[in-house]
Amino acid sequence: MAEFESKLPVSGGKNHVFEACHHVVKALRASDNNLDANLRKLLSDLESHLSTFGIADTKVEDAGFSEIKERFKEAVKKICSWETNQSTILEAGLSAANQFFQALYEVQSVLVGFKAFPIKTNPKEKDVYNQATVALDIAMLRLEKELRDVLHQHKQHVQPEYLAVSSHRKDIVYDESFVSLDDEVVVEASSHEDDEQISDFYNSDLLDPIVLPHIKAIANTMFACEYDQPFCEAFIIVQREALDEYMVTLEMERFSCVDVLKMDWEDLNGAMRKWTRVVKIITQVYLTSEKQLCEEILGDFESISTACFIEISKDTVLSLLNFGEAVALRSCKPEMLERFLSMYEVSAEILVDVDNLFPDETGSFLRIAFHDLSKKLADHTTATFLKFKYAIASDESTRPFHGGGIHHLTRYVMNYLKLLPEYTDTLNSLLQNIHIDDSIPEKTGEDVLASTFSPMARHLRSIVTTMESSLERKAQLYADEALKSIFLMNNFRYMVQKVKGSELRHLFGDEWIRKHIASYQRNVTNYERSTWSSILALLTDNNNSVKSLRERCRLFSLAFDDVYKNQTRWSVPDPELRDDLHISTSVKVVQSYRGFLGRNAVRIGEKHIRYTCEDIENMLLDLFECSPSPRSLLSSRRR
Amino acid sequence: MRPAQDNQGSFLGRISIRRNQFVDVNNEQEQEDLELFQKHIADRFTELLSPPQPPPSDETNTVASVAATEQIMSVTWLRKLMDVFLCCEAEFKAILLMGRDPTQISKPPFDRLVPEMLDRSIKALDICTAVVNGIDSVRHYQRLAEIAVTALEQRPLGDGNVRRAKRALANLVVALSLEDKENVSGGGGGGGGGNKTTERSWSFGRRSGGSSAASKGGATIGQLKSSSWAVGRNWSAAKQIHAMTANLTPPRGNEAAGLPQPMFIMSTVMVFVMWVLTAAVPCQERSGLANHLPVPPKHLNWAQSLIGIHEKIGDEWKKKEKKGSAGLMEEMTRMEKLGHSLMEFADGFHYPAEKDAAESAAAQVAEMAEICRRMEEELVPLQQQIREVFHRIVRSRAEILEVLEQAGKVSAPVV
Repeated sequence: MAEFESKLPVSGGKNHVFEACHHVVKALRASDNNLDANLRKLLSDLESHLSTFGIADTKVEDAGFSEIKERFKEAVKKICSWETNQSTILEAGLSAANQFFQALYEVQSVLVGFKAFPIKTNPKEKDVYNQATVALDIAMLRLEKELRDVLHQHKQHVQPEYLAVSSHRKDIVYDESFVSLDDEVVVEASSHEDDEQISDFYNSDLLDPIVLPHIKAIANTMFACEYDQPFCEAFIIVQREALDEYMVTLEMERFSCVDVLKMDWEDLNGAMRKWTRVVKIITQVYLTSEKQLCEEILGDFESISTACFIEISKDTVLSLLNFGEAVALRSCKPEMLERFLSMYEVSAEILVDVDNLFPDETGSFLRIAFHDLSKKLADHTTATFLKFKYAIASDESTRPFHGGGIHHLTRYVMNYLKLLPEYTDTLNSLLQNIHIDDSIPEKTGEDVLASTFSPMARHLRSIVTTMESSLERKAQLYADEALKSIFLMNNFRYMVQKVKGSELRHLFGDEWIRKHIASYQRNVTNYERSTWSSILALLTDNNNSVKSLRERCRLFSLAFDDVYKNQTRWSVPDPELRDDLHISTSVKVVQSYRGFLGRNAVRIGEKHIRYTCEDIENMLLDLFECSPSPRSLLSSRRR
Repeated sequence: MRPAQDNQGSFLGRISIRRNQFVDVNNEQEQEDLELFQKHIADRFTELLSPPQPPPSDETNTVASVAATEQIMSVTWLRKLMDVFLCCEAEFKAILLMGRDPTQISKPPFDRLVPEMLDRSIKALDICTAVVNGIDSVRHYQRLAEIAVTALEQRPLGDGNVRRAKRALANLVVALSLEDKENVSGGGGGGGGGNKTTERSWSFGRRSGGSSAASKGGATIGQLKSSSWAVGRNWSAAKQIHAMTANLTPPRGNEAAGLPQPMFIMSTVMVFVMWVLTAAVPCQERSGLANHLPVPPKHLNWAQSLIGIHEKIGDEWKKKEKKGSAGLMEEMTRMEKLGHSLMEFADGFHYPAEKDAAESAAAQVAEMAEICRRMEEELVPLQQQIREVFHRIVRSRAEILEVLEQAGKVSAPVV
């Protein structure tokens, strides 16, 4: 009301209109105790305003009426001059606005006066009353247009360029055989990078604050004149359209449940990613600002402010809820875990904001819907997580994995797990009540970090244990005992490297890492024993005859050829591990061979010796290089 | 891998353990259940078709208003319909899942019937969404009517009040008589000064009819209106309803005596309820829906009342379709009638009001006010009920899928 009042010029001099009004107001207040709150407010404002002039309570005379009529005519003229004017009153400046509001005030005063004494009025006065209703309606319609135009022209949006959903990132593309998740893909994947930007816009104004007093003046005036419903309707429409439009700039499309169920993973993934961002922007930034705007404009009428806010936001909010619910209709595929985690995380995070947006009964169904959705996403995320383990457990191979290298399953699972520490808090809360058998007992041994014993850590270790069993089964498919060792060594080494090189190390813990290093080292030993023990046994000489020595030398060469032919096709992708393996093999084999030749070369005779020590040393370097075809013994390495 | 308590912990799960023990032995029990189910369906829809008459009363006003609230397609009736649906659904789910060997519903003919049913329920979800959105449009009509009521309640009634009422009424009448194609569209901004624009329904009124100032005022904003679909791009209520009925045929032969029967009944009820909802309120794209619903065979006892309701609504719709209508909700129909009549009053109004005309208008204003009051009381609860139906359908689908998954695990070796 303050604005309305301030727009009234305090023109000096005695004025019969004021006299009349003063009288009317007093009479009205005395006559009716059931006055509408708005009217009562208007009256008290009017009264205090009038009293500043110190006008005596005198009887209204006929001369007074004609002067009222004159002033009224002027006011109507002023209002009508705005009827067809396309520019806003705001643009016309403060004094024009003052004049408009003053004219409106006079018209309203006349109406209030007549309503107080409907019986007494004569036909002439009645005519003035009728004209006043029309003038008021013209003014109100003009203000309604003003409201729309100003809201529209001065709206402000959260800058969409900051909010563009980054689409450059690749995502996990799931495949039943776990083949598709490569190391490179995962490195960049992280969904939390844009958080800062959102909070920067936490308190953005949806409307230029400069025009706020003007809008408030319109609101107070229209409410005072009982045009509150048209005000609300116009306000709701404009603001709802602005929100719709904003959703379009965010490129948040609406999808039916049928669409969401049919959508291929790539599209759905994009839509889920977008939802995660949009739902946050809308609840934390946009609607928070919208509510604030409603309160600033309609703060004096609290329940109306709430009702308007709900009407403005309901449709969009429901569409966002619907998408969440539609996504939860899909079956829980492991590849969806990360998206579900982020959707759930956001849904839980915004609950505080949602509670603030819809605190009371009127908005309770939206508030409850958000809580329900969050719960649903929690269940779905947990189910997806548990399904992941199930998928690993049921991953079976029928043929041995080529070259004994790192299995797709290992790559997929480890890279997948690497994504999860980002969601540690979320996963811990989701998994805390789901019991799991764990390989590491409570705080014994060398682990001291609490994170190592968190629910998430236990579950991750359990997933890896499941994977290890699967790898053991896959290892059984190899006929060659040595290759089996190489396979296990490779995969365990890969697991350890992934854990050590990422946040996973705090979850898996030192004891787990130590045990797994020991495990692949045991496989190194196993390999060396199964490949080389029998071969090196040929090089032990116990007073053998020349013939026997020559035979042993020949057999060694044959066996070595055989190893060479096979093991050059094997794979040890980790260069460090390969070097270690080359060195330790070389030390054993070359030393034994050198010793054997040193003792016996003369007796055997040079033409019976196929390989020199250098030959052996060089050829050993070819092992585990994963050659596509059997390496020829006549390769360049040979003299 | 799924923890077993998921199923066992639920209410149905617990009952199923108990019933499991004798259901296989006792086929008669199942027959009895099926008959009871059909009887309940019949009873519930009979009550909807002809609601119990209120006791005679001296106050004619009360009788009229009670009768009106109970009338088919009134918002109160629609809320009752939602309750009926929820009851039928709960009973059906009990029949389908309780005490049943999971493998049974994964074998033929259920390997076809169950997925078809689940498919239908997904389509029903989208219809729920569209209808909730449509009710928002009705809320908009309600607000327009309220503006007219407030204006016409002013005493003494001046030209200015009537002017204001006329504007609101014109917008209301136009909005109420628009067809979906115009009412709900994603086409973006419409033509500037014309009465017919392509916008979403709820934002309609302010654009059309009324004084020149109103049209001019609204047009600027209207043209900038961005496209927005209630459900999804190119989604059509008519197509969804049509697809839901596509493979819906009564079970024959042996199947008619067993589980396929209640499945058919429940599906019919679901399609019917969704059809009624789309008929009641503005809904994204529903052209031709008046004729879409295939009526179940007349000889089926449980279907009699349902067919009766269907015919009533169908007739009304066909009548309305010729001139276009935003929805058949009883309150909207009356609102439209009152709107036209009050428009007439407003057009012929000269200050000061003529006594007779004013009195008859006052009665109509009071009726309009009563409709608004009822809408204010019941529309949002109806929206919430439809959301509840949505969630119920989601939950049932999840439960059925869970049972199927268990069946899958039983038949496939678990590693």
